[in-house]
Amino acid sequence: MNYLRSTPALAIHDLRKSYGDLHALRGVTFCLERGERLAFLGPNGAGKTTLIRCLAGLTRADHGEIHLGGKPLKSVEARKHLGFVPQEIALYRDLSTRQNMLAFGRFYGLRRSELRNRLDWALQWTGLGERADDLVGTFSGGMQRRVNLACGVMHAPQILLLDEPTVGVDPQSRQRIFTMLDELSESGTSILLTTHHLDEAEERSDRIVILDQGQVVADGSIEALVKQSVGTQRWVRLRIDRPLTAPLRVGAAADAALIGTTGEDRISTRIDDVSTHLPGLIELVRRRGYGIADVQVEAPSLHHVFLHLTGYELRD
Amino acid sequence: MILTVMQISCRRLLHNRVELLLTFIVPIAFFSIFAVIFGGGLGRGTTPRIKVVTVDEVDSVVSRLIMSALKEQESLRFVREEESSQLSRSEAQELVRNGTATMAIVLCKEADQLAAQLLADASDQVASQVVSAVVNRSIMLSEAEYQVSQLGVSDASESGDQQNIAATNEGNDPDAEMLGIEESLSRKVEIVDVMGEGKANPVVSMYASGIAVMFLLFGATGGGGALLEERENQTLDRLLSTQMSMDQLLLGKWFYMTAVGVLQVGVMFLWAQLVFNVDLVGHLDGFLMMTVVTALAASGFGLFLATLCKTRGQLNGLSVILILTMSALGGSMVPRYLMSDQLQQYGLWTFNAWALDGYTKVFWRELPVDALAPQLAVLLFSGVAFLLAARTLAVRWESD
Repeated sequence: MNYLRSTPALAIHDLRKSYGDLHALRGVTFCLERGERLAFLGPNGAGKTTLIRCLAGLTRADHGEIHLGGKPLKSVEARKHLGFVPQEIALYRDLSTRQNMLAFGRFYGLRRSELRNRLDWALQWTGLGERADDLVGTFSGGMQRRVNLACGVMHAPQILLLDEPTVGVDPQSRQRIFTMLDELSESGTSILLTTHHLDEAEERSDRIVILDQGQVVADGSIEALVKQSVGTQRWVRLRIDRPLTAPLRVGAAADAALIGTTGEDRISTRIDDVSTHLPGLIELVRRRGYGIADVQVEAPSLHHVFLHLTGYELRD
Repeated sequence: MILTVMQISCRRLLHNRVELLLTFIVPIAFFSIFAVIFGGGLGRGTTPRIKVVTVDEVDSVVSRLIMSALKEQESLRFVREEESSQLSRSEAQELVRNGTATMAIVLCKEADQLAAQLLADASDQVASQVVSAVVNRSIMLSEAEYQVSQLGVSDASESGDQQNIAATNEGNDPDAEMLGIEESLSRKVEIVDVMGEGKANPVVSMYASGIAVMFLLFGATGGGGALLEERENQTLDRLLSTQMSMDQLLLGKWFYMTAVGVLQVGVMFLWAQLVFNVDLVGHLDGFLMMTVVTALAASGFGLFLATLCKTRGQLNGLSVILILTMSALGGSMVPRYLMSDQLQQYGLWTFNAWALDGYTKVFWRELPVDALAPQLAVLLFSGVAFLLAARTLAVRWESD
């Protein structure tokens, strides 16, 4: 299938879906470029799973358009290039790794040599070649997740949808899964995944879309999101040599602000320009008679962005 | 500790409607069905009416009296009543063989004495006893009536005759008279089995088919349960996100469940052949036709139930209730000839009744395959209808 250079891999426009009085999606619009890794972030009930299901063709949206490579989602041609990995381990636990991969390969329309080749690739990619003939039900959670992932990409899709791909797995297995996804991304597959893990979204995606109550509240790279929300401010934490006897006054009399808390040996504050204002802060603390034991400068993270945009923590 | 375990288990039971149904309602329903069957059927009478045809080879006053007496019996239902005076013995036997009638009552002469032969279908073991008793009684009463009427005709010599009768009776030994009557009765009614001759274990095939159909249904609902499991663990979602359609999925399941069902019944009848001498090989064509359509019907039913239910637990509960009820009414557990006419009619709403009728035609009556047309048509229609209903219900799984 030929993609036009300017045609995004996935284009969603004004997607809406309601279940009675519950509005799961309220006009979601975004694009996924070819080869891009996009992370969908949002609390429970934000609409992430509904969105994924709409894209996978499992839920019919009430309104809006979805195009895969410029073609409507409903067309058979478009759907050939879509892979879907659900949140649950959607495998036949009483079949082996090989049998599961072969089955889903056939369901995706692969046959004969193409199927065999993809099977060999999938076994090597997942690192489960030696467990090819073992029943999937005997695997650990991490291994099952790898097979789960492989069964969604047997047909080498252009776009891969993943719903919480690393839920319930140990850090080592998570790392392995993301290494596998990196390989896919490098080969040109566009990846859209939903996640609760901020670090996953920050480290493993080119772009982040934050969903809250069925609406997109932010869309961009982590740097862009930080800049447009919390800006260039940095958190600075100073540990002093003894507890404060009183909060410290910072700034001119008219604009003076108080930092620190009486009785505590830590001072936390945000400053706009570290190179300019940090030395002044340190000098101020010293002039008040306190020694500086430690200085920490923390860049704003997705956590701060999310908190700033939605007003609450991202709950697991 | 023990009490706590009991309390928790009790609370869980009270919260589980399916389990409550299975524990308390299903046994009552089942018991009620059997009570109705054996303790008093719905509709007329407590015993099923036996389908009979009659042949009068004697055509005498007494034989016509016997026929009239038989027609007044509530326990008998005359089929082809308008033709019975023209039926020959062989035609009557054929009606018994093809199941139109359970028994043919043939009045004939044996050693110049009026006798009755009952051409019977030995599979209905109750009918022979009932009809034999009824015919015996009718013969006795009709002959007595005739004798009385004869006494009335010869009024002119009544006194003389009465003296002769008295003199005759005085000289008779009462025991000898009773013995004579008994001997007379034993000669009068003979039961001839026109079905089971030459067959080894003829009834076994009927029970094999009854059990086979019941387990076909259980197997089919098990297959349907697998579909529900796939839905619960999102494997179904994954399948529908591929190039496979719901049509293809359901058809694949239907054919698979049918194939397994055919194999299941085949193994069972093969066992019946090896151990119980059922002639499977000699009836292979009819057996295969009946088995395939019955398996198709059962599989369609299983898929329909699966798409009707939301969880495997719901399906398990519903299927047990339905299958046991259908099996009881349809004759898988108790022969339908023991049921009242109305219950037998209700049984025709079950797969079991049609399938058993078909297998009976194949193994017991040994009818040609074209005689299976009604059974094949009903079962095939049922299978397709249930499959279509399942497809309709599965729409909500495709895209919510």
